Amino acid sequence: MATEGSALNGHPPTWKIWENPIVRRYARSRLRPRSLGVALLITLMLAAFLFFTIRAMADRPGMSRSDVARVPLIALLVLQGLILFVLATGQMAAAMTAEADEGVIDYQRLAPMTPLAKVIGYLFGLPIREYVLFLATMPFTLFCLVRGQVPMEFALQLYGVFLVAAVLYHLTGLVAGTVLKNRRWAFLSSMGLVFVLYTIVPQASKMGLVYFKYVTIEPVFKECLPHLLPRAAGAGVQTLQNLVPPARFFNLDLPQAVFTLGTQFVLIGVLIVMLWRRWHRAESHLLGKFGATGLFAWVQVMLLGNALPLIERGDVFPSSAMRRYFQFREGGQEWAPEPIETVFMAGAFGLVTLLMLWLMISLMTPNRDRQIRGWRRTRKLGQRSLSIGSDPATTFPWVAIMVMMGAGGWFWFTKEVIESDWFGGTEMPIEALGAFALVLTAGSFGYHALLEGKGSRAAALCAILGAAPLLLGTVLAVTSQGLWPLAIWVMGISPLAGPLYATATVLPVADLHPDLVRGVPRAFWFWQLVACLGTVDLLARLRRSRRAIAQSSLSDGDHSPAGK
Amino acid sequence: MTGKAETSGAAIEIRDLRVDYGDFVAVNDINLSVPYGEVYGLVGPNGAGKTSTFRVLATLMEPTYGEVALAGIDALEEKEEARRILGYMPDLAPVPADLKAWEFLDFYADTHALGTASERKARVDECLEIVSLSDQRNSWCKQLSRGQTQRLVLAKTLLHRPKVMILDEPASGLDPLSRRELRHSLQGIAKDGASVLVSSHILSELAEMCSSLCVMNQGKILAAGTADEVRRELGRSERKITVVVLERCDEIAAWLERQEGVLEVAEFETNDQQITLRFTGDDRQQADLLTGMIQQGVAVKAFEEESSSFEDILVKIAEDNRKPEGTTNGN
Repeated sequence: MATEGSALNGHPPTWKIWENPIVRRYARSRLRPRSLGVALLITLMLAAFLFFTIRAMADRPGMSRSDVARVPLIALLVLQGLILFVLATGQMAAAMTAEADEGVIDYQRLAPMTPLAKVIGYLFGLPIREYVLFLATMPFTLFCLVRGQVPMEFALQLYGVFLVAAVLYHLTGLVAGTVLKNRRWAFLSSMGLVFVLYTIVPQASKMGLVYFKYVTIEPVFKECLPHLLPRAAGAGVQTLQNLVPPARFFNLDLPQAVFTLGTQFVLIGVLIVMLWRRWHRAESHLLGKFGATGLFAWVQVMLLGNALPLIERGDVFPSSAMRRYFQFREGGQEWAPEPIETVFMAGAFGLVTLLMLWLMISLMTPNRDRQIRGWRRTRKLGQRSLSIGSDPATTFPWVAIMVMMGAGGWFWFTKEVIESDWFGGTEMPIEALGAFALVLTAGSFGYHALLEGKGSRAAALCAILGAAPLLLGTVLAVTSQGLWPLAIWVMGISPLAGPLYATATVLPVADLHPDLVRGVPRAFWFWQLVACLGTVDLLARLRRSRRAIAQSSLSDGDHSPAGK
Repeated sequence: MTGKAETSGAAIEIRDLRVDYGDFVAVNDINLSVPYGEVYGLVGPNGAGKTSTFRVLATLMEPTYGEVALAGIDALEEKEEARRILGYMPDLAPVPADLKAWEFLDFYADTHALGTASERKARVDECLEIVSLSDQRNSWCKQLSRGQTQRLVLAKTLLHRPKVMILDEPASGLDPLSRRELRHSLQGIAKDGASVLVSSHILSELAEMCSSLCVMNQGKILAAGTADEVRRELGRSERKITVVVLERCDEIAAWLERQEGVLEVAEFETNDQQITLRFTGDDRQQADLLTGMIQQGVAVKAFEEESSSFEDILVKIAEDNRKPEGTTNGN
């Protein structure tokens, strides 16, 4: 047997996707005629059913042939979305988890391919059957586009964003499959994510969090909609759409498609970095300290950049969508935002900032095992302390930086809203910055100290318990109005209520119920004090624990089991 | 450690390797060097640190610290390079359910860029032949028996002609004939210059298969060398001695129990005048014991030391591990 080196030839370049061994492996296993045939048959039947039925129903006197041809387009797009967004994303997550579960993934790790080539291989290999099913529906779509005389630029925009969004969701499924141990959870969570993106996120975008809608195809779909509908209906939609501004980012006006693609490409980049890190080193955090902090800053800038330009026209307010309805009902009176929606909007901004902080902290906080290994490695290398950006290092300074950025962003957004022309002459009190910082400090450092000191189970348990007061408070509140004061105090226990309580306490515009005016500030300050004391205690314990780990690793060389 | 593959020096070089799982030390600062052309066995009871060591060597796991070189390549820093010359077979090697035997091998041949489709096919067929699985070429992986699966994964490990092979329990699930074939295959691979590091719980077979052995326990290397050297080194601490006396002597058992190094006088069979005792000490102390018995007036007809088998040694190590701290003896 010969013993000379391994590879006879080099690997193909990463961009040659069709030559990627992982893509070829899944093309072989997932495109076998027997299993593909059934799926293909079902898909073709569904697509043909939608195409012929909807077309026949739309074919009435007065409709031109091109108008009739356009009618099935949206139904076909929904079918394609189900195939590529939902099925393929779930397949990605479940298959990755299954490979890890069965142990086959170790072989893939050992394959002498670059981490990027492996990510690309899985990204385009695992959902290859779904891509074929998608392509099977395309003849119907192409017929509709050509016969419907849909302008090519809109068709390309829509399907360009559609495919990029599919890649983004598939990567999310891949990350879920890499992180989660249970394949059923991985499948459900990744499909749940897509569901949330198209149900909850659009609602959040109406609360001033406009940026999130750009991770969906919604903005581009809406822009293209007039050209996908029969001309009469399309013209009506177009009239409404003329009121909607293009994507705005601070002072820049950008086409929706360009901004959506830009947003999605950045997120694709972030997810590829996460996967690259895991494939390069299985023990790595999904994001390093610099990466997670940078991502947090980027999301803050995007949230502000998208929301601030909409304040002047009033498009950022939830009720602005109902503007014309209000005008009609109020007999032509000018619409103006309600003060209470400002409180909710600012609270929602704070809540999303807090959730983003938790996410970033979860991504970069080392567990106890990682800390011990890091300190021992440091000792072995003769160094006195861990590098601040390394995975085993404490997250404390990074949390501090993100809290400052988060509080600053939240304050800026709220200030711009409160001091806008809509609330003429109202000034944002500077103490609001302190209240916002307090909420984020207690919430973030508390979570960080729990996660780093007590482990992920304790942190997850606290997060779940944190939601319980909200549920209990809601039950109390809906039971009787007399229980409102108690409900306010109970709900205030939850860190999730902190941002809303903060804005209700410090904003000068709110026109609240007397019970809320009395109860919310008291509950807010009391529970923040409790949270701060608890956080200080947790941080002190964490500091002692880290010192103990550092000293046990640095003081002597005995780490044998007997020495423990 | 250099960054380029070498063909001289050690095929596997481990320096100060340590692996921790929280407070538990799985591998505790071990050093090991495996030359080219050897089948090297790694032996130890469960929890000895073998699999952790193997996973670090296979670039699947990051150690707490330490250095690992495979054919001169730093396996912790240059993973992709190391993987080109590495063949790894895990314990209870899994196979994907959705591929046929030849497709499974062809995929890995492809990941190693082993040429065109026809070149890959030739190599796949060659490896199937080596592990006697040619007749199962078109079988689904999930339909193979345990032994056939082991052989298929071994074929995958051989595909790219690795310079270093790391095989965790490769013989488990194989019938005696397959084991013999495996032994011959591995010895043939080593003869061609590759280095094979192998662990097995079938110790007698490992002793036959390997040119050198290393015994691990509780994350540390207890002994390394040829099978005889290791047996002597580990067996020295406790010996089983059989004494046959010519005339019956009732006091001798009590006298023996009082002697330094005698752990237990396990058997005293008066009918055939035979005494069996467990003794710990070196050769000099053993000679002193014999002299002492003669001086006591015992007519010693035979004085025989039984050499410890590998099984005995490992059973003893495992038993010592189970005893509470402070009650262990021997090594």
